[in-house]
Amino acid sequence: MRRLWAAAAVALLALTGCGIQPSEVTDAGEPPTGVAPGVTLYFVDRRGELRPQPRETGRLGTIPDALTLLLLGPGGFAPGDSALRTEIPPVEHTRVEVTVDDGTIELRVPLAEHELSPLGIDQLVCTALDVHVRSGGSPATTVRILFTVPAPGSDRPRTCPLIG
Amino acid sequence: MRRRLWPRGLRARLLVTFVLVTVLGAAAAAWSSAGSASTALVDSTQRRLTEATAAQIGALAPQLSYPPDQAGLDRLRAAVGPDTLVTYRHLRSADGAGAALVTEELREAVRVRGRLVAQRVGGDGGSWLLIGTPVMITDLDGTRTPSGIEVYAAHDLGDVERRIDGLTRSAIGTAALALPPAALLALLAARSVLRPVRELRDTARRLADGDLGARSLPQGADELAELTATVNEMAESVQASMAAMRRMQADARRFAADVSHELRTPLSTLTAVMEVLEDAADGMDPDARESARMAITETHRLVRLVEDLMEVSRFDAGTVRPRLEEVDVAGAVRDCLRARDWLDRVELTAPAESRSRLDRRRLDVIVANLVGNALRHGEPPVRVDVSASPGEVRIEVTDAGRGLPEDVLPHVFDRFYKADAARTRTPGSGLGLAIALENARLHGGDLTAGNADGGGARFVLRLPRGMADQVEDG
Repeated sequence: MRRLWAAAAVALLALTGCGIQPSEVTDAGEPPTGVAPGVTLYFVDRRGELRPQPRETGRLGTIPDALTLLLLGPGGFAPGDSALRTEIPPVEHTRVEVTVDDGTIELRVPLAEHELSPLGIDQLVCTALDVHVRSGGSPATTVRILFTVPAPGSDRPRTCPLIG
Repeated sequence: MRRRLWPRGLRARLLVTFVLVTVLGAAAAAWSSAGSASTALVDSTQRRLTEATAAQIGALAPQLSYPPDQAGLDRLRAAVGPDTLVTYRHLRSADGAGAALVTEELREAVRVRGRLVAQRVGGDGGSWLLIGTPVMITDLDGTRTPSGIEVYAAHDLGDVERRIDGLTRSAIGTAALALPPAALLALLAARSVLRPVRELRDTARRLADGDLGARSLPQGADELAELTATVNEMAESVQASMAAMRRMQADARRFAADVSHELRTPLSTLTAVMEVLEDAADGMDPDARESARMAITETHRLVRLVEDLMEVSRFDAGTVRPRLEEVDVAGAVRDCLRARDWLDRVELTAPAESRSRLDRRRLDVIVANLVGNALRHGEPPVRVDVSASPGEVRIEVTDAGRGLPEDVLPHVFDRFYKADAARTRTPGSGLGLAIALENARLHGGDLTAGNADGGGARFVLRLPRGMADQVEDG
């Protein structure tokens, strides 16, 4: 009988002792990322290969920012790399609409498909992917480019040969 | 102390046990459900807050100039929310009281692990969730290095705590709800157990009071029903053996009555012969005369013995009826003594007149027996005191002898009991006191034996005055 009383007392204590208890330091997942001293643009070097060009902008910025810089061309920055050129023709509006969906980045560029060489397309894809990965995105993300004048299959998912 | 805690009645014990067990069970169930619910609540809140913090930082980080200046840190802190601390090397941006709660333990974990970490602390102002994280720099190949920016955010868990309190209260309420049905069940169970027990108790009491036919009906097939059946069997066997004993007693009594009755006829013939022999004894030679006198004495004894035996048999058979009449008790006692020539050997003190309804002959038998015993076994003077009160007549017979030994007192009224084994050949039949007692009881009175203060034996006869009429009618 005494044991029954003791059990009752313990149960009552446990019931009243409910609440939020302090805890140890626990792991809560991946830390956020996205800070960087600058952005990386992709141009074509003298041998016709894709080359990254870091730009000390002070921050990583967004994908449209990076693409705007890319569309402005390589000139002026990084004197040692003056040999770099771009395969993207100059455009009037340098603003690119970007939609980041699950696993896909969609770029709406102010260019027609025939205006761009495969290298030029890679420049766009790599620059966008570079910003995406540095701000915490997955390297396996694909890029889909929507041109002002599309060609059959021009909106297929693309990847950057230098990333991933 | 223990007795006060633990009630003694079966009903109360069942009630307490039932209620305790039920409340314990309900409390345990409620407690575990409330506990898991509150754990889930805390976990989900914690996950939501950490994910939100990480997302807020992640959203702002690309816009943050690096290395950051004070304005950049302030911007980050404002984006994360109130009660936030942001540090970068020696720079520091803090806001709110919660920022001060950040523990050294958490900072250490952020620096060493390089992961998003969380910790719950209980402060004076309630519980807080602390979230700490470094902001990382990710390279293209996926490697991440700490940028040196660390963000610590504190979230007040008071709201969650209030919801958990609500859960606990409702758990206690649920447990309390189980109380009334438990008490009701306990009372029902107690009644179903107690009813047969009470019936059994009543039956046992009736059996103890002599009602051997008392039985209780077993109900159901449980242990109590078995117990009831066992008690019934016991009563059955007690009743059977009592009946057998009564039958044997009755047989023995009838045998004694028959024997004494059968002895009477030859004895009356023998008595007549003895009278003839007595007349002729004077002419015999001395030896033959001695033998004849002995035979005559023993024959008289035998006659008295048989008469007493028959009287006892009549008492045993319950066929004796007193012949009540209005009697002057003092006069009757005096007549009794006078008839036996004892008046000069006995000191009689009696009131002038005390009338009572009695069987005169039986009163005579009692007094003659008591006085005869006193004269025969005690020492003179023998005193007879008659006294009367409104309720009863009291006759005391006292002698001046050595009195009755303690071991004899309980047996003086037993049949054929002789106090002194050597005195077996006294003239008495050994039935006198037994018959005297039966006669006293026949009148609704009593006869007791004891010792007087002076040392002699004292017999006290008490006869009620009022109830004799009823005996006569019976």
